[in-house]
Amino acid sequence: MGMRFKISRRQNPRRLHSGLVLLAAVGLSLVICALLLEQQGKPSLRGLMLLFQGAFGSGWALQDSLIKAVPIFLCSLGVAIAFRLQIWNIGAEGQYALGALGASWVALHFPDLPWFVLQPAMLVAATVCGGLWGLLPAVLKLRMRANEIIITLMLNYIAIFLLDYLVYGPWKDPSSFGFPMTRMFSQNAVVAKIGAGDLHWGILLCLVIGMLVWIFLGFTRLGYEIRACGENVQAARYARMPYAALVLLVMAASGALAGWAGFLEASASLNRLEPSIMAGYGYTAIVVAWLARLNPLFIGLAAFLLAGLRVGVEQLQLELQIPASFGQIMEGLILMTVLGGSFFVTYQIRLLKKE
Amino acid sequence: MKKLAVCLVSLMILSAGLAMAASQDFQVGFVYVSPVGNAGWSWAHDQGRLAVAKMPGVKTAYVEAVAEGQDAERVILNMARKGYNLIFTTSYGYMDPTLKVARKFPHTVFMHCSGFKTAKNMGNYFGRMYQARYLTGMVAGAMTKSRIIGYVAAFPIPEVIRGINAFTLGVQRMNPAAQVRVVWTKTWYDPATEKEAAKSLLDVGADVLTQHQDSPAVQEAAQEKGVYSIGYNSDMSKFAPQAHLVAAVWHWGPFYREMVTQVRRGTWKPKAYWYGLKKGIVDISPMAKTVPAAVQQKVMAVRQAISDGKLKIFAGPLSDQAGKVRLTAGQALTDKQLLGMTWFVKGVVGSTQ
Amino acid sequence: MDDLIFIVAITLKSSPAVLLASLGELISERGGILNLGVEGMMLVGALAGFVTARQSASLALGLCGAMAAAGLLALLHAFLCVHLRADQVISGLAVTILGTGLSSFLGRPFIGQTGLHFSSIGGTWIDGLPLIGPLLAQQNLFGLLCLAAVPALMYLLGRTWLGLYIRAAGQDPAAADAAGVPVAAIRYGCTLFGGCMAGLAGAYLSLAYTPGWKEGMTGGQGWIAIAMVIFATWHPLRALLGALLFGLLNALQFYFQATGIELIPAYILHMLPYLLTVGVLVLVTVLEKPVLGSVPGALGKPFSREE
Repeated sequence: MGMRFKISRRQNPRRLHSGLVLLAAVGLSLVICALLLEQQGKPSLRGLMLLFQGAFGSGWALQDSLIKAVPIFLCSLGVAIAFRLQIWNIGAEGQYALGALGASWVALHFPDLPWFVLQPAMLVAATVCGGLWGLLPAVLKLRMRANEIIITLMLNYIAIFLLDYLVYGPWKDPSSFGFPMTRMFSQNAVVAKIGAGDLHWGILLCLVIGMLVWIFLGFTRLGYEIRACGENVQAARYARMPYAALVLLVMAASGALAGWAGFLEASASLNRLEPSIMAGYGYTAIVVAWLARLNPLFIGLAAFLLAGLRVGVEQLQLELQIPASFGQIMEGLILMTVLGGSFFVTYQIRLLKKE
Repeated sequence: MKKLAVCLVSLMILSAGLAMAASQDFQVGFVYVSPVGNAGWSWAHDQGRLAVAKMPGVKTAYVEAVAEGQDAERVILNMARKGYNLIFTTSYGYMDPTLKVARKFPHTVFMHCSGFKTAKNMGNYFGRMYQARYLTGMVAGAMTKSRIIGYVAAFPIPEVIRGINAFTLGVQRMNPAAQVRVVWTKTWYDPATEKEAAKSLLDVGADVLTQHQDSPAVQEAAQEKGVYSIGYNSDMSKFAPQAHLVAAVWHWGPFYREMVTQVRRGTWKPKAYWYGLKKGIVDISPMAKTVPAAVQQKVMAVRQAISDGKLKIFAGPLSDQAGKVRLTAGQALTDKQLLGMTWFVKGVVGSTQ
Repeated sequence: MDDLIFIVAITLKSSPAVLLASLGELISERGGILNLGVEGMMLVGALAGFVTARQSASLALGLCGAMAAAGLLALLHAFLCVHLRADQVISGLAVTILGTGLSSFLGRPFIGQTGLHFSSIGGTWIDGLPLIGPLLAQQNLFGLLCLAAVPALMYLLGRTWLGLYIRAAGQDPAAADAAGVPVAAIRYGCTLFGGCMAGLAGAYLSLAYTPGWKEGMTGGQGWIAIAMVIFATWHPLRALLGALLFGLLNALQFYFQATGIELIPAYILHMLPYLLTVGVLVLVTVLEKPVLGSVPGALGKPFSREE
């Protein structure tokens, strides 16, 4: 039984080709989802239409999806910077929690500062807390050679318990009837809405930082070094690139960005800190970063699409009584098919004729 | 720019109006905090929804597993935009999101469960579950031999604390020397954790268990150990056929139907609806055969007395855990005091932290 | 004394799910495949186990069903990671997302149904045994049998050619391949084994510990299992230690409340497994003692002969 297939890495993956593979992958997962709906006796085509409508089909839907995309986008941007260097930061969830903690601490202790002082101060606190939470595994990795996947995963739990401890204990609002939540932030601590709609100014922050990261990664020396080190650490070290400094930099930046997401979520969406702030954005961020191939512009798009999926599923529940878990199935399936499909983008399979 | 905004806003209003006109049915929406499941809090509300759905000319829908906070606001907002006439939001954390949306949609009626805020078009409602708890406490007090009763509870919030206190007072009515031991799980729903909590209570000698949790794990623990259990939310006897004595249950159906009727007739008022045994919003399930007839009769007599308003549960003399007198004879706790209850009555072992 | 017996008994009873799942993950990682899908596979296993046992009226078939369903998900992960050389972190997350979604979507009709379950072995001659009698009486056969997996896997990893192959595939696949080890097959096998064990772990919950199907009933135990593998530094005996520690912390947390003596605050108890895992991981790399076992060299890295 000789080898009948030859698998080799494509020299220059073509745009069109990878686009087609992506389409095929998403199509395949949609077909599976449709079959699942049929099996449950629900109209599959109408279901998928409703999902789309609920996510992107009206001005409101678009706006809701955009709002939902903000924290996912920021976390994902952070994750992508670390992934570029092949540092597997799956701790965005914890860094997000710490960011929210930092911002809330400022908001609760200095409620009377004017907004143009208070909000930047909250942002700084979120940056510092999230950044430090990201630096910790980086230091452990460099000093102790501890695996960052595991450390960041563990730190997620520790961060969540820390948050729980504070909102159930010292930070609990005395007038909340014992429910675990802090006092409402003062109006000065709440990031304002844009005009009459529900979008808040955080979206502008996303646009700006997205552009900056895009420029940083693509057009600066440091950005180039991050990518070079990520592709081949040995060669990069040989070229005297400061690997250790880069690891610290990307993890601090990664944590800070996730921290920003925590700040915006606490300030603009909840107006306080409560356990429900932990909605798994940190994990979704990994999915998004990967789907977007670590490209900041695509991350914006992917974050928007996944946020839309979550928003759209609510429509399915309302109209067809399809449970919320359907969204998870779709997310998992899309991820798997795209993951499988990427093989056909990076590799070439040739059928070898039997001699 | 300004023109564009005006255009957009008027378009929004127009389409909202169209959506409302499009459906002739009276639409009622429900928002649940957890999956509907089999026996818990959201399940009880969904039973109520099903009762509403049977009314002619009424359409219902629900969204489950909606996180408190921003997700809740979006879901409620969506229902309002779609022209739902009446929206029930069934978790404490939905209070502020409901209020925010209510201010934007003055023609939709919002009802929030378990909170305290109202607006022109938003009322709140709850049931006096503590009345049913008192009755189940009587059953527990009559059945315990070890004089230790275990209570697995989720979070130290007034609703839960009130239930524990009423239960304990019920226990003491039948068995003054008995104590109620409380273990907090800090989760509404986690079968494995609830079971471990139940077991720790069995270990300290509890021979009747009850719960303020959404899964039947506590009942199962009692069944396995061969002791008694008392259910909550719904009749849980199918999970623990031998152990289950009685359950404190919710019957949201009649109340929800009443609200729908009032809103349709235009007689609805934005106030706090806090109904009890009398209206049937809370009750106890049929008692097991193992409960002696004399005890059953006594419980049913007290049930009638509470229902008639002859018996007030939180009436003096009443002292707290530390023995400090909180209420002298002749006094009774007001609704406001009940809603903010954060202390345990005498006879409860455990902390309110 | 009674208290001690109680704590030990509850520890023993609440740890098998984490033990099974972490043993499975341990073998998978020893073979070089990181599988973050444990939580999803456990949920699918819990549902499949409960449903199969109920429909077939056989607990044994229930266990088979749990293994088959979770194993299928694991095979998907293996296919993506081994043949399609996909990123293992992403693929594992996909398995967890998919498994969680599928189990709660397909499990709807079975919520609240009652079915078969393993009952405790008490009520027989076992009660009369001195000392361990009351301890064993509360256990069930399934939970006790899990313990047997520990020496079995120790033997497999340490004393057999298969164990050598597995370690080689996870440590240095290129060298192993050169020496004639079928790396791809070994990795498939290890991942499949990990999936089956996760399925059994789920079935322990739905057929023995809290019988019945409840949405999200694993409550994060899959993630704890992954942490425990690190805590155990990839050694089965220490995985047992880790699982027992997890069970003990759980038992203590409520024991303190029920008895009214709180020696350690609950939040610290909750955090302890994770803090300990970080501590152990750092210690292992600082000490660099081979006795402690070590990170499989090629963990998480795809292998192909051509490159």
